[in-house]
Amino acid sequence: MPRNSIKKDNLKNNNSNVLKHRIKLLKATVFACVAIILVRLFFIQIIEHGSWVAKADEQHTILETITPKRGEIYMMDKGEPVTVVLNQTTYEVVIDPTVTKKEDIEKVANDYVKDYLVNDIDEVYNQTGLRYSIIAKNIPRNIAEQIADSGIPAIWLKKINQRVYPENELGSSLLGFMNSDGIGQYGVEGSLNDVLTGKEGLIKTTADVNKVALSIGNDNVKIPAEDGKNIVLSIDRGLERGVEEISSEIIESSAATNAAVLIMNPRNGQVLAMSSLPNYNPARYSQIEDASIYLNQTTDVPYEPASICKNFAFSAAINEGVMTSDTTYFNQGYEIVDDWKIDNAEQRSSLYGTLTMKDALYWSLNTGSIYALKLLGGNPNSINQQGREKLYDYYHNKFRLGQITGIELFEAEGMIPDPNEGWGRDSTYANMTFGQNVGLTMVQTASAFSAVVNGGTWYTPTVVKGYYQDGKITNPDDIREKNPLIEDKILSDETSAMMRDMLINNRSYKGDRPGFSIGGKSGTAQVIRNGAYDDSFSELVGSYIGFIAPSGEMPEYIIMTKMWGEGQSIGSGEAMNLFDALSGFLIDYYKIKPGAA
Amino acid sequence: MISQTTTYVTRREAIGNGFARNRNTVRYTKRNLGSISQIVIVGMLTLIFGLIYVAEGTKATSFDYELSAVESEITEMNAKKEDLAVEKARLNSVATARTSTVAAAMEDATVTGYATE
Repeated sequence: MPRNSIKKDNLKNNNSNVLKHRIKLLKATVFACVAIILVRLFFIQIIEHGSWVAKADEQHTILETITPKRGEIYMMDKGEPVTVVLNQTTYEVVIDPTVTKKEDIEKVANDYVKDYLVNDIDEVYNQTGLRYSIIAKNIPRNIAEQIADSGIPAIWLKKINQRVYPENELGSSLLGFMNSDGIGQYGVEGSLNDVLTGKEGLIKTTADVNKVALSIGNDNVKIPAEDGKNIVLSIDRGLERGVEEISSEIIESSAATNAAVLIMNPRNGQVLAMSSLPNYNPARYSQIEDASIYLNQTTDVPYEPASICKNFAFSAAINEGVMTSDTTYFNQGYEIVDDWKIDNAEQRSSLYGTLTMKDALYWSLNTGSIYALKLLGGNPNSINQQGREKLYDYYHNKFRLGQITGIELFEAEGMIPDPNEGWGRDSTYANMTFGQNVGLTMVQTASAFSAVVNGGTWYTPTVVKGYYQDGKITNPDDIREKNPLIEDKILSDETSAMMRDMLINNRSYKGDRPGFSIGGKSGTAQVIRNGAYDDSFSELVGSYIGFIAPSGEMPEYIIMTKMWGEGQSIGSGEAMNLFDALSGFLIDYYKIKPGAA
Repeated sequence: MISQTTTYVTRREAIGNGFARNRNTVRYTKRNLGSISQIVIVGMLTLIFGLIYVAEGTKATSFDYELSAVESEITEMNAKKEDLAVEKARLNSVATARTSTVAAAMEDATVTGYATE
């Protein structure tokens, strides 16, 4: 074989080996690449499956809660519901000072939201590192649309669900307000927050790049939101307005700074007016510095209604058959119980001697109500355990004083002392007959008084008339499950009639409007300082409670008033003036026809 | 494209297989589609089904867009309704009535009837 030929064959073999080697290398490379890809795919599809699915879902799935519409609140006016709390969508102008140009936001401020600014623009831009600032709030939709159409960049319009109170301050302590988190606080907004809020819905659906929900996909979910219930209150808007205006006028003309009024229908427990002054605008609740203004003084705050409680002690004794309005006792101007002297407030000499219980109520004599307690115990000379237990039974179990009444509002429980546990029971119970040593709310007191004058039936006080839907008032079933309306006959008709006569007699000197039976009872409470009653009378709380009826008929309205002021000696006279003014207004407002008798 | 294959059967084979004189004989012919034809047909079918799927999907999406537009309109109308309800409530409020010049110009009622008459 020629040498060249051998060389050629060697070269050919070498080339072939190189090629084979390269092919092997290529195969190995391809295999390695495929292996890497497979491993990576294994990791993505098996190991990291969940997180990649979540990322994909995030990109093409819309998952949102559907906010329910908060229920509206209505009051009654001439027999028709009128809206007093409703909703409105408003907007906030939000900027990022590092992105939004100052001249742009100044243009927006000057052209559109001058009246809605909440922050000074210069101050916002002077702060370093600020990335989020609300420039304007409560902007109506039409102005928000103008801003959006103006084409000014880097301005965010944030949608806000705002609660609107078109009657401003009217009934604020009754209505409460909705806070910035959308949660009801105080009043009906707070106590019936669950009913007003409704239930959130959910939407989960596939979306395209424009975030438009698509109907394709197997995992789409749509649970509609359940809107909150519209609540109709039994409150009469015109009467409420009149009550607040008259209360303001009486406050102006006296040393009092506060007044609370409760007007009820004693025949069914429906509250027609409920006010606490001073009041506030619920839409601007955050501007209130003294949080006590939020309180509903008729339900949230127990106090001593003082001599108003004589009605309950007298009713108990009459109902037990141990006393009538003509029962007599000897009044010496004071009583000594547990070595403690209890004086009458009224000490005129003409009252010393034998008096009837009707006289005792007329002059509001503490000795008279203590005598009723003695009679309950079966011993006219001293207070005993039987008397205490019977009084407790009437106060706590029958009149439901010192316990939750069941009204659909937040309420304080109050307190009635135990008849046997504790020190100085006799003196404590002697004080209870004229409204000291107890803690009662106005709504407890007014409900009990309703039973005294309406024929003897205790009704659960209520402010909710029903739900309002499609122009109809319906029964508020779920509220009634929690707050059932109780009707309990606790006094005889005769007891009630006798009490009405005595209460009308109490006002015999007043010269009330002819054709009407108006009865009432005052109460002046001392204030407790350092654990003891302030006998200097430097601060007093005045109360008055009464009923109105056409002559010869059963009462249709109960009015309870309370007036006070820090450091002010407000007697029951001011509270009675308020009652007198309100009773006249109420007769005119409802055009109540005088009775024939 | 169709290809065909003819198989010749000898008389002996035919008799063995049950063929005989004065009997009808049948010539069996295998007729198969060619591989290219099969690919084309499968491709065509896939394309048709694909087009149908895309057409239906597009139609559904366009409905979704219409639905989205209608829902936006409903939201808009509800917002306007809310605004009008608020305006109505404000105009009907006692506070507004008190500051009304029309109400201020009215005279107080002097003759009243009773509610129970």
